[in-house]
Amino acid sequence: MSRGARGAVVNAIALVAATLFAFPVYWMVVTAFKPADQIQTYVPVFIPTPTLDNFVKAVSQPHFGDFLRNSILVAGTTLGLALLVGFLTAVTLARARIRGRKGFLLLVAIAQMAPFEALLIPFYLVMRDVGLYNQLPSLVIVYFIFTLPFTIWSLRGFISGIPIDLEEAAMVDGASRLGAFVRVTLPLLGPGLVATAIFCFITAWNEYFYAFVFMTDVQNYTLPVWLASFRTNLGTDWGATMAASTLFTLPVLVFFLAVQNRMVGGLTTGAVKG
Amino acid sequence: MIGSRMAKARRDASGREGTPSRRRSRLVTLASRSIPYLGLAPALVTFLLLLGYPIVLVVQMSLQHIGLKELISGATTWVGTANFTRILGDPEFLAVTARTFAFMAVNVVLTIVLGTLVALLLHRIRRSVRLILSVAMILAWAMPALTGSVVFQWLFDSKLGVVNWAISSLGIFGSWLNHSWFETGFSTFAIITLLIVWQGIPFVAFSLFGGILAIPPELDETARVDGASERQIFWNITLPSLRPLLLMLAFLSVIWDFKVFTQVWTMRQGGPDGQTITLSIYAYITGLAQSQFGVAAAVSVVMVALLLIVLVPYIRLMLRTQEDV
Repeated sequence: MSRGARGAVVNAIALVAATLFAFPVYWMVVTAFKPADQIQTYVPVFIPTPTLDNFVKAVSQPHFGDFLRNSILVAGTTLGLALLVGFLTAVTLARARIRGRKGFLLLVAIAQMAPFEALLIPFYLVMRDVGLYNQLPSLVIVYFIFTLPFTIWSLRGFISGIPIDLEEAAMVDGASRLGAFVRVTLPLLGPGLVATAIFCFITAWNEYFYAFVFMTDVQNYTLPVWLASFRTNLGTDWGATMAASTLFTLPVLVFFLAVQNRMVGGLTTGAVKG
Repeated sequence: MIGSRMAKARRDASGREGTPSRRRSRLVTLASRSIPYLGLAPALVTFLLLLGYPIVLVVQMSLQHIGLKELISGATTWVGTANFTRILGDPEFLAVTARTFAFMAVNVVLTIVLGTLVALLLHRIRRSVRLILSVAMILAWAMPALTGSVVFQWLFDSKLGVVNWAISSLGIFGSWLNHSWFETGFSTFAIITLLIVWQGIPFVAFSLFGGILAIPPELDETARVDGASERQIFWNITLPSLRPLLLMLAFLSVIWDFKVFTQVWTMRQGGPDGQTITLSIYAYITGLAQSQFGVAAAVSVVMVALLLIVLVPYIRLMLRTQEDV
């Protein structure tokens, strides 16, 4: 094959791959906008006459407001807690002289790898004992523990990436240590903080396993728990199911497009240096 | 650089000035030295207490008999290793374990191999096509596991699913209309694997693409000048350079796919006929549905023990790569 022909084939393969990756997402969104008669058909309709009926139906399900509020509340609180504690820890690790730093990093690494799926039974028992079972704070606690290691790891990387010389230069110009950090390093940290915060939010927003086990009363469900039971509750109303899925996915998608570069870097920093 | 040297000089000077009383200054340094440790305290408490206690508890529970009665009365009956001998002698548990391993292995191999291929693809295509493929992959990657599962059930719906229609209209395989994908365990697993691999490839591909870009281009060029074929370049230059990254991604995939719950559970709740029950689902059913908390804890402990085989080298690798940061 000639060079040009081979290039064309490679590009064609890439376009096929892109179609395969995007199709399920496209199909979810397109189904969500279809009127019922374009869903209930053997020959699929690829470009629908759009309608908002399915969204109206999804949103007007009983308790939808509760689920949305619960999800935002849980994910928001998790984000706040993880960022607060994570930032304090990361600054300390990156900027202070500390003995046992390596040991602490090992602890963070272990915590990051803790198999939460295997800790369901003890967490369930603890939450029952302290009276948090079927209460939203139980989810916040579990998600906080779950996201903290990554938050520390990622923020530490971002802070270490900002040369301390900058702060010292500001101190020469008369700034206090804290002042130098707040005025010089913090603004540079903005993007890193946002990326990490989004990661925490998405993790808590998406989580299904613990929410499914811990929340027994309908009004305490988070969106994923509701979504999983949606299909069974509505029979096979795929239009409304896809509309609900689309609504649930939308914020995640927007956030992801904004920060995906940093997420790749954050998870495998250093591994490329070889 | 100059700034830092000056700041240092300033620090030294001020340190020399302010020492009226030795004991007081020692107290002050002690206090100021311990302040950084206070910064670590909240995280330390979180890890040791909030995470450590459940870990200790799961081991403790695995050595006890805990049913609904004990859960309410709070009585503890130690049974030694009875829970472990029970599950290890239970053919169902062994079958579930073997199934979990097979499922994990297939997922990991597919994710890594296809992810590598996509990374190589990303490296060779035109810029505009690369952008299209990247956006498509971000869509798949961003999809929450739960919605992924719901959407795949719709794609593979027996009556109105678009996949059955597509296969049928190809005309090669005959009519697949009304074909039910969730009738056998194998077929159900195939859909779950498809879902997991679809969502897993982007992260692997993006990471490896980054790795490929970090390989100095002179290496490839020299080899090409020396007459190496594309295949030789891949096996002798690209792959060895990517080795640490590939290893890390493989470890991560093993960890994720071994304990995956959401996709497997929401697809068919372990059905048909319990044929897609994996270890995390087995632990959940034994514990929460059958109220055999001691046995479920033992299952969890076995799960963690199996995971440690890959966790330990992974954490060592991760710390080694972090050292020079």
